[in-house]
Amino acid sequence: MNIAIQLKRSLSAEVYKYKKTLTLWLLILAPAFVPVINFIILWQKGPQVIKPDMDAWATLINFSVDPANFLFPFFVMMVALLVNNIEYSSNTWKLIYAQPLSRFALYFAKMKVFISMIFISLMLFGTFTILVGLSMRYVQPGLGFEEAFSFGFEYSLMIKIFLATLGMASIQFFISQQSKNLILPLGIGIAGLISFMIVVQGWEYAPYHPYGYSILATGGIRQEGFQIWADLASVYKSLIVAVVMFTLAGVIQLKKRII
Amino acid sequence: MSKLIIQTTELDFYFKNFKALDKVNLNVPEGSIYGFLGPNGAGKTTTIRILLDLFHAEAGQVKLFGQDLSQNKVALLSKVGALIENPSIYKHLTGRQNLEVVRRMIGVPKSRINEVLKIVRLMDNADKKAKNYSLGMCQRLGLASALLGDPDLLILDEPTNGLDPSGIIEMRELIISLNKDHGKTIFLSSHILTEIEKMATDVAIIDQGKIMYEGKLDGLHSNTSKFLEIELSNVEKAIEIIKSLNYTVSEHSSKSITLPILEKADTAKINKALVDNNIDVYQLKSSEETLEAIFLNLTKKLDQ
Repeated sequence: MNIAIQLKRSLSAEVYKYKKTLTLWLLILAPAFVPVINFIILWQKGPQVIKPDMDAWATLINFSVDPANFLFPFFVMMVALLVNNIEYSSNTWKLIYAQPLSRFALYFAKMKVFISMIFISLMLFGTFTILVGLSMRYVQPGLGFEEAFSFGFEYSLMIKIFLATLGMASIQFFISQQSKNLILPLGIGIAGLISFMIVVQGWEYAPYHPYGYSILATGGIRQEGFQIWADLASVYKSLIVAVVMFTLAGVIQLKKRII
Repeated sequence: MSKLIIQTTELDFYFKNFKALDKVNLNVPEGSIYGFLGPNGAGKTTTIRILLDLFHAEAGQVKLFGQDLSQNKVALLSKVGALIENPSIYKHLTGRQNLEVVRRMIGVPKSRINEVLKIVRLMDNADKKAKNYSLGMCQRLGLASALLGDPDLLILDEPTNGLDPSGIIEMRELIISLNKDHGKTIFLSSHILTEIEKMATDVAIIDQGKIMYEGKLDGLHSNTSKFLEIELSNVEKAIEIIKSLNYTVSEHSSKSITLPILEKADTAKINKALVDNNIDVYQLKSSEETLEAIFLNLTKKLDQ
């Protein structure tokens, strides 16, 4: 049986098992969280928050990206846990690895579902943010959301965050795959995030900290003339970490004793 | 000799420094119900995991259907259905949805799901969430997912574990029918002797990672042991004497001792030793041979 069929089968089974799970709701509700709060703020207090001389769309995006920068890594940690823990908690690693599919196909399917979940939720987040802006044209006219806005900018920003997040996502995926423990991956993730926030205050090597790539990638967003694709250092670093970690996790999974 | 469905040669396996399997050779003939017997921790599940490519043996070779497993994993495992130890079931899904997950992995038609549900008699509960299943239903669902691909070989690890007596009988009937009516070769592990005795055509006995016996079930009966029950005066002292003669005491009460023996001469030898040590022997009774006696004799687990 060729590898393409194996990949298709693994993927189809992998997607199906999330039916009626918390994971699916998390993918939809988590990206809606910040936009919903922004909606309420702008709807209730729009004129106080956005002064006439401010750019309404730029303000909304700042309002979205700032809390998201902090919350999104937690979301990534949870998704990494859920996609691996679904097997640990049901004792099903041995079920899937005893099927007539190569270990590579099975590993790749899980990795792909994980990455897709992160991507989809970011795209939803971008969409919800745009919807908040558009809805203000009717809910709170006059804030400045009537002005044209490049949706492409918002989605490009999401793609950049996505790429810059893959590094830490791969680390979380690796830890969650190797350990049945729920606390360990969260502990390492939180420690990673907090340690970045400390070192970024003034350590010259802080930009190499994998838990900070996505924050650094959007760092210049408040500055005049911010170009999404101008400074890609964090994105490249993130991609390198992701390639290394996903490969390492794959190699270990190929040789691992499946309990 | 008929075709071998499973053939392992000199399998070695370690958990860190602990040698879990020591030169395990198994030969499972086509069409057999092959009982794989051993006390807890003897290496049964480890062997099964190696047969399914979940563990990789440090030394030795596994052949399924005459082909090397490590080279042809995907092709060979498509002819194998397995139920390993505690059931692997997604609790948030229904029984039917659990089978759908497996069906998608092996690519058989949807109609197979109803067929296997009927075989394991789980139709009525197929749309209940698996978290509400009893242990017996979980085992049957596990068996259903093993049967989905219509495999030629079924590998069942302790399939009657945790079942109540009627569940055990049902599972046994199912296994025998899968073998007789559907022509499947069945590799079955258990630590329950009477279970194996009722189903198996061939057996292997494993203890501390070593194969102690392999062959026909009948062969095991003919060339080995009986039980000797001795009624006597000083049980504690007698046990010491018997152990010093390198026999295994399987049972003892305040008045008597029961142990497996191999031949008549053993009775005389034990009797003499007891009398020489001033123990009054009131009665010597040799009982019907049972698989239990054979098993204890081979594994010498109890009372040591």
